[in-house]
Amino acid sequence: MMFRSGQPGLSVAGFFGLGGYAAALSFLYWGVNPLVSIALGCLFSLLVAFILGLVILRIRGLYFSIATMSLSEIFRVIVMNWHRFTGGPSGKALPSAVFNGDSAKIFWLFLVLTLLTVIVSEIFERSRIHFALTSIRNNEIVAKSSGIDVFKYLVVVFALTSALQGMIGGAYAHSYAFISPEGSFNFNFVLLPVTMALFGGIHSTLGPIVGAVILGVVGEYLKLQLPYGHLLVYGVIIVIVILFLPKGIVGTAKERLKHKWATI
Amino acid sequence: MQILEIENLSKCFGGLTALNQVNARFEEREIVGIIGPNGAGKTTFINVVSGVYPPNSGRIIFDGRDITKLPAHTRCRLGIGRTFQVIHPLQDLNLLQNIMVGSLFGQGNGLREARVKAQEICEFLGLDQLERDTSQLDILEIKKMEMARALATHPKILFLDEIMAGLSADETKEVIETIRTIRDQGITICVVEHVMSVIEELTERVIALDGGRIIAQGQYKEVANNPRVISAYLGEEE
Repeated sequence: MMFRSGQPGLSVAGFFGLGGYAAALSFLYWGVNPLVSIALGCLFSLLVAFILGLVILRIRGLYFSIATMSLSEIFRVIVMNWHRFTGGPSGKALPSAVFNGDSAKIFWLFLVLTLLTVIVSEIFERSRIHFALTSIRNNEIVAKSSGIDVFKYLVVVFALTSALQGMIGGAYAHSYAFISPEGSFNFNFVLLPVTMALFGGIHSTLGPIVGAVILGVVGEYLKLQLPYGHLLVYGVIIVIVILFLPKGIVGTAKERLKHKWATI
Repeated sequence: MQILEIENLSKCFGGLTALNQVNARFEEREIVGIIGPNGAGKTTFINVVSGVYPPNSGRIIFDGRDITKLPAHTRCRLGIGRTFQVIHPLQDLNLLQNIMVGSLFGQGNGLREARVKAQEICEFLGLDQLERDTSQLDILEIKKMEMARALATHPKILFLDEIMAGLSADETKEVIETIRTIRDQGITICVVEHVMSVIEELTERVIALDGGRIIAQGQYKEVANNPRVISAYLGEEE
């Protein structure tokens, strides 16, 4: 959704990890119920993203990408060095996974959270927010000359998407019962979601879902063939998408269909 | 009733002074023309007044309120509308949606109301087949769309930046009539134009800019015959 506003946000891993740590640590230190702690992870990411957003959303496009990429690293380094609180480089293991590791229940948990994300994305697509983000992406000057408070929209979208990332991060931390700087803030958590979203098409809710399903399955298969080979493939995919399929699979398919209907 | 007052407005881009101590007044329901050679500062004037660029010095008083420090989107909501010299359709939205943007954010309407308002404006301007992509529109339609988007924000003053550029004689006539109708609905209009016949026919008052300064102001006849204006366009007499 951040991409829909024209600002490629690459801080996914950062807020994912932050949410994970917030959820895990609130569970460890305060004995908070795991599900509530996931909500806390979500809120924590929301707050941090909001505050940081007020600062870094003064810059746009490529520079914004670089700034958000560095956010993940900054969080990781802070967490890694705050030994006493976060357990430092070795992280912390939780006494038990959420639902005691029951795979079925964990599946449902992630399904519910995914549905939540889908709902938020659809709300964005069907409301005035869609108009705002698209206008901002197409031409910021026209947008603000037409009454759009560009900064406000960007901060809100950034905070909300980061909150969602934190929420999933919290669920992830609890399902593996483990948090660590390397594990929770891993670059994979930027590369994979972004590739899947770009591949599927960022302009719809369906796009990233399609992308995730295809690449998820392909990725698991590739991992069996080549260790880390899937990373190479993902990198290649990003380049191909940017060059040939900027709207992703779903987006390009929609366009082709529109053309077909128009020429009938 | 004065709607807009510009006081000693100056704007520099690095070493280049684009606007130099500009003073101007706009009365309600006036149609004012701004002329000047390329680089005179006409578009910069619109950009500074609408809030795209902050001025280096000076004040802008709109509807009795000092808006000098206000951001562009707030000025739009207060009633300053403008079109762009280089057409800027929002390419991922269709014709109707482009116009809805003005209503949604310049006026704060809901989706349904914005759609209705946009359709009304399209009818007024003679635009149809509203689901079309902006890439499928001809030049007159795109210009109308730009006007429509600005009108959808319910402006009190509308700046039209070279809206006649690229239009045929008939199309120009149509747009002139439309502008008069818009004015009759209570909106002050300021047209920046290079086509002198349009300025002569349409405007009640003309401001001539050159090098960021106002070099003449008044009725078209006086301004067009002003030697400084002539030399600004044509160069000094040998």
